[in-house]
Amino acid sequence: MTSITSVKNLRLKFPGESEMLFKDMSLSINRGEKVLLLGTSGCGKSTLLQVLSGLVPQTIDIPIKFDEIQIPDQWGFVFQDPDTQFCMPYVDEELAFVLENLQVPREEMSSKICSLLKEVGLELDNIHTPIQHLSGGMKQRLAIASVLALKPDVIFLDEPTAFIDEKGTEQIWETVKRIWKDKTLIIVEHKIEKIMDFADRLIVFTPGGEILADGNTSMVFTQYKEKIKEYGIWYPGAWDEYKFKRLAENKFEYQNTLKLQDFKGYRIKEIKIWADDMEVQSGEWITIIGENGAGKSSLLLAFMQLIKTSGNYFINDLLVKKIKDISGLVYLVFQNPEYQFLTHSVYDEITYGLQNQQNIEADAKEILSSLKLTSKINQHPYHLSVGQKRRLSVATAFLQKPTVLLLDEPTFGQDSINTFRILEWIEQERQKGTIILMVTHDQHITERFATRLWKVQNGKIVADRQLNNSCKVQKEMLNELII
Amino acid sequence: MQKGLKLTDILVTIVISIAFGILYKIWGPLYYAVKPFGLHIDQLIYGMWFMAATVAFLIIRKPGVALLAEIAASSGEFLMGSEFGLEVLLYGIIQGLFAEFILFAFRYKRFDLFVISLAAFSSCAGSLIMDFYKGYIGDLSTWNLTLFIVFRIIGSILFTGLFAISIAKALEATGVTNLVRSSSKEDHEALDQ
Amino acid sequence: MNSLFSGKYTWLHSINPSLKLLTIVGLFGFAINIHYLNFMLGFSCVILTLFIFGTGYSYKQLLLLSLPFLLVFLSTSSSMILFGKGETILFKWAYVQISEESLIRGIHLGFRALSFAMLGLIFALTTKPVRLFYSLMQQLKLPPKFAYSFMAAIRLIPIMVEEYQIIMNAQKIRGFEQKNNFLKRMQRIAIPLLSQSIRRAYRIAISMEAKRFQSNRKRTYYYEIGFSRNDLFFLCYFLVLLGLAYLLSIQYPLLPNTDVRSLSD
Ligand SMILES: Nc1ncnc2c1ncn2[C@@H]1O[C@H](COP(=O)(O)OP(=O)(O)OP(=O)(O)O)[C@@H](O)[C@H]1O
Ligand SMILES: Nc1ncnc2c1ncn2[C@@H]1O[C@H](COP(=O)(O)OP(=O)(O)OP(=O)(O)O)[C@@H](O)[C@H]1O
Ligand SMILES: [Mg+2]
Ligand SMILES: [Mg+2]
Repeated sequence: MTSITSVKNLRLKFPGESEMLFKDMSLSINRGEKVLLLGTSGCGKSTLLQVLSGLVPQTIDIPIKFDEIQIPDQWGFVFQDPDTQFCMPYVDEELAFVLENLQVPREEMSSKICSLLKEVGLELDNIHTPIQHLSGGMKQRLAIASVLALKPDVIFLDEPTAFIDEKGTEQIWETVKRIWKDKTLIIVEHKIEKIMDFADRLIVFTPGGEILADGNTSMVFTQYKEKIKEYGIWYPGAWDEYKFKRLAENKFEYQNTLKLQDFKGYRIKEIKIWADDMEVQSGEWITIIGENGAGKSSLLLAFMQLIKTSGNYFINDLLVKKIKDISGLVYLVFQNPEYQFLTHSVYDEITYGLQNQQNIEADAKEILSSLKLTSKINQHPYHLSVGQKRRLSVATAFLQKPTVLLLDEPTFGQDSINTFRILEWIEQERQKGTIILMVTHDQHITERFATRLWKVQNGKIVADRQLNNSCKVQKEMLNELII
Repeated sequence: MQKGLKLTDILVTIVISIAFGILYKIWGPLYYAVKPFGLHIDQLIYGMWFMAATVAFLIIRKPGVALLAEIAASSGEFLMGSEFGLEVLLYGIIQGLFAEFILFAFRYKRFDLFVISLAAFSSCAGSLIMDFYKGYIGDLSTWNLTLFIVFRIIGSILFTGLFAISIAKALEATGVTNLVRSSSKEDHEALDQ
Repeated sequence: MNSLFSGKYTWLHSINPSLKLLTIVGLFGFAINIHYLNFMLGFSCVILTLFIFGTGYSYKQLLLLSLPFLLVFLSTSSSMILFGKGETILFKWAYVQISEESLIRGIHLGFRALSFAMLGLIFALTTKPVRLFYSLMQQLKLPPKFAYSFMAAIRLIPIMVEEYQIIMNAQKIRGFEQKNNFLKRMQRIAIPLLSQSIRRAYRIAISMEAKRFQSNRKRTYYYEIGFSRNDLFFLCYFLVLLGLAYLLSIQYPLLPNTDVRSLSD
């Protein structure tokens, strides 16, 4: 077999850092292989994809050194963030941009665009649709279509489904499997369930950026299981082996309630979210599920009074009208962590506004070490890996000690160990009496941790179920709800 | 330094400028609102209009950026339907060119307050030349004209010099400037250990 | 922006954008050299007619859009009227002195600013940015890396506005003190907005290169922008009507025909 992309003795160090991210790392990938790269969050997977595609150092100026490097001639890259992949305003113009780069004659463009869209399952009534009007999953599919147009031999996929709902994730992987059956695929993904059987080679990295294991998927998972488990990388059955036992319910440190009466949230005068009468109490952990674009984030924004609302909304019998009424009581973790960063270092970020509290330093250090951010304490929040950014924004929430904690997909892009740690922190908060409202696409979390479930559809809470911990009944009910 | 601007440089410059373009669009009516009341008080905030050039240059630090930024900011403003119409585009080009001259004179190697203020002053001179030609400002009575010019110079140095430097400093602290600037030799050498 | 307001598609939309731009530049240069108030009035009328009947927007929209013009007109003319040089004094009070010359010059300036503003708006209202940049690449040989950067940046505008709101919200949640002085507050808003935009721009540039965008290579165009009969009509509109306006201003002047420049000499 011939190699199609490889690097020998790669060294890479970010400017101003003391440690190298890669030190003499070698890797070679053969034509036609479907490679899955696994590793803890922050071990350097995204960076490696950028090196293998030649984006580093040509476009992204990071100092690197190597003895040899082979970069594929024809490659495509699907990036993680659905919002920063496009340069044109409309769907057809974006694909045309790629075709223009390839000097496709103009007469052929329209039909090519249609067939590309069809191939990735993005059927639109009108191809001249603004990209802004697409949901996250549709945008990601458009990104795949533009990569498809490039006719690449090698495709790099960096967590293409991080923000996508369960159904969308499945569809995207189906598409990838169908259209790139005989191409070389290099995939980074934490949610391995849907893609594992497709990959024929698995490369596992240690947290230090070295290769721990490299080989056939089932071989790696059996031979290296202990190590993989120790590092906290996802493996098949990780959820089943995870033992979570909820302590018997005791008294809460404080009793809180949240009440809604005919509560509506608006965006540009349009009702985007609508809840009938609801009551939530201390000890409840509600997961909010629903498709991309259903209105889950809008619901949390409405609770935070960041969009216009009507109806009544009480916290501990206090009628909430303005954001001032709930400052210190309710705290929201945004879907995109970057929006929340205000300071220039991880430590400042987490202690922001709390400097005169007692023990703040010890608390901050404890949570940072538990979420594996200790070594990044002086780093700029924007210079973290995607998963690290998410953990930092979640960690900040815990130190705020709110009465109601709103979390928008707090575990996306996490390896197993960090997912569990985050969930355990949330559980700890819940036991103190904090009301937890959490948006998630991960069914395992709902099954194991939630005490109650809301399903949002077209902006309305269409289902409200109490959950107990007898998994079997629950699973059936969930499956039914999700479909 | 490789020749010409890379795509990343250009796109970043244009986006910075468009951000300023939006700001200008908000600023424009304010400018006209203060204009009739006082004795050229408006000229004090005129310097705002040259800011895109120096801010973009301070961030990217490459030749041509100042000119491009000024053109982009003004075309952004123009396309959004500026009250000034096409005039704003021509002013943009002249102001950008004048700032670029100064930066060129210092070989694009100096980023301190002195050089930036000089560039601000130069932009200001450019805009005044346009005004003499277009706005008949030479026909203002002398005391009024002096006031006009002095205020505009003060405003330019305040916004395009001082304020731009403070913005660039604050942006440096956010680490975003590392993205667009070339990595240093030391960083490359550190890989040999 | 075209998206804020939408009007009908008119013949002005179909004019080749490069040609439209150059024509407007030409008119601009021409107007700067008009020094007679009567002709200036005629010039403004020619443009006003096109603005009202050509752009395809309702009168209500146009009225709304032209409100700032009033301000432009008043403020541009006022300082010249109040403080300009002149001999035939009509009114004097402290430093304020209104002379006939400065009055005429002020009104002249006001009309000039008004026509420039209208010309600019005509262009902005009837030109899609994407078509403009495609045309600039094809007719005026603008290098693609500039053209596509502009188009990408324009796409980012609504995203930037949204981001601005999100940043404000995030700061509210974190209990950002609002007591700071004005300059500090401006920085608090400007810095995150700028740094986010720069990061976004940078990522988009990377993804453009990942889609194998190369500026120096030959490329095909999805929109091929050429010329049509409307372009000729557009040019003729100005040639004929401005000629007419000139004749009228000489034959039937509304005001005394003097050169506004030399009034004070
Ligand atoms: N600009 C930067 N400056 C300094 N350090 C950086 C920078 N960008 C990334 N890093 C660090 O490099 C490491 C690798 O980042 P990378 O994004 O490749 O991780 P990853 O394996 O993709 O993680 P994740 O699964 O969370 O996305 C991280 O520890 C991160 O903190
Ligand atoms: N800033 C905005 N202005 C107007 N409409 C918006 C805005 N943000 C989102 N929407 C619309 O509101 C609806 C709900 O969006 P929301 O972000 O709440 O969905 P979501 O359920 O969180 O989806 P996802 O799972 O993709 O995060 C969508 O139809 C979306 O198009
Ligand atoms: Mg990553
Ligand atoms: Mg959401």
